Amino acid sequence: MSKIEFDKLEVGQELPPLKTEAVTHANLVRYAGASGDFNPIHNDPDFARKTGLDGTIAHGMFVMAQIGRLCTNWADQKQIKEFGVTFKAMTKPGQKLTCTGKVKRKKEENGEKLLVVAVEAADDSGEVKASGELVVVC
Amino acid sequence: MAEKGISKDLIGTKLDRYEFDVERGKIREFCQAIGETNPIYFDVEAAKKAGYEDVPAPPTFPTVIQFWGYPKIWQDMENMGVDISRILHLKEKYTYLKTLYPGRVSSQGECVNVTVGKMDTMTFKTTIRNAKGEVVLEVEMAIFIRKPGQ
Repeated sequence: MSKIEFDKLEVGQELPPLKTEAVTHANLVRYAGASGDFNPIHNDPDFARKTGLDGTIAHGMFVMAQIGRLCTNWADQKQIKEFGVTFKAMTKPGQKLTCTGKVKRKKEENGEKLLVVAVEAADDSGEVKASGELVVVC
Repeated sequence: MAEKGISKDLIGTKLDRYEFDVERGKIREFCQAIGETNPIYFDVEAAKKAGYEDVPAPPTFPTVIQFWGYPKIWQDMENMGVDISRILHLKEKYTYLKTLYPGRVSSQGECVNVTVGKMDTMTFKTTIRNAKGEVVLEVEMAIFIRKPGQ
């Protein structure tokens, strides 16, 4: 997380990827407590099945937090101007995530030098769980 | 049980204003839960050395403010006709205007969009201010409500 320099980066450049261990129920219980999101589809398998799911699923925000770690491992957090994702598929316990990013655009706007980075999290089969954009001010 | 449902009339509905104390211990707990290990999030001295005023809250920490600061959101959504057992998170977007540090923040959300049809969705926009009243960040969150079979 050193300061990102505009002139040293090119479109297409990739961020160092971040890989997680397999997501466990314990991770999700802990995340529920830390975040305050106690929706039982994330911590109660019987409840989750009653709503038509196969079992519990990870909080989307747990997945976004992993992409967030990818971003702050790379850039100084003070440089982050925007960070957004769309959730594409459910993450289930037992799955490992790989978070990746690639510089998509360089632009100057209102006197600010901005880097737009495409980011995503996918499991080992390549299924994309969440993808979005990070905007960094240089 | 009556069929629940949402409508476009909900656009513009404001939720209650609330306050929340961002605490260093809560930042640490959240970082441990997401696997974050960078010392700037745990140690004030390390944070200062890296150019921060205090330990910063990591990028997705605002979700803590929303869930712990406003647990009434579930009841509000029920009241708006949302079957909360069938919600999935669709989108989350943060715009950071200032670094979020420990201290009191105030926040208020508003329903800014609803789609009804093939996919029922709701979008909320929340503004989070620091104790000086400055906007620290804006949050846009969209959910979708699964229909049977989805």
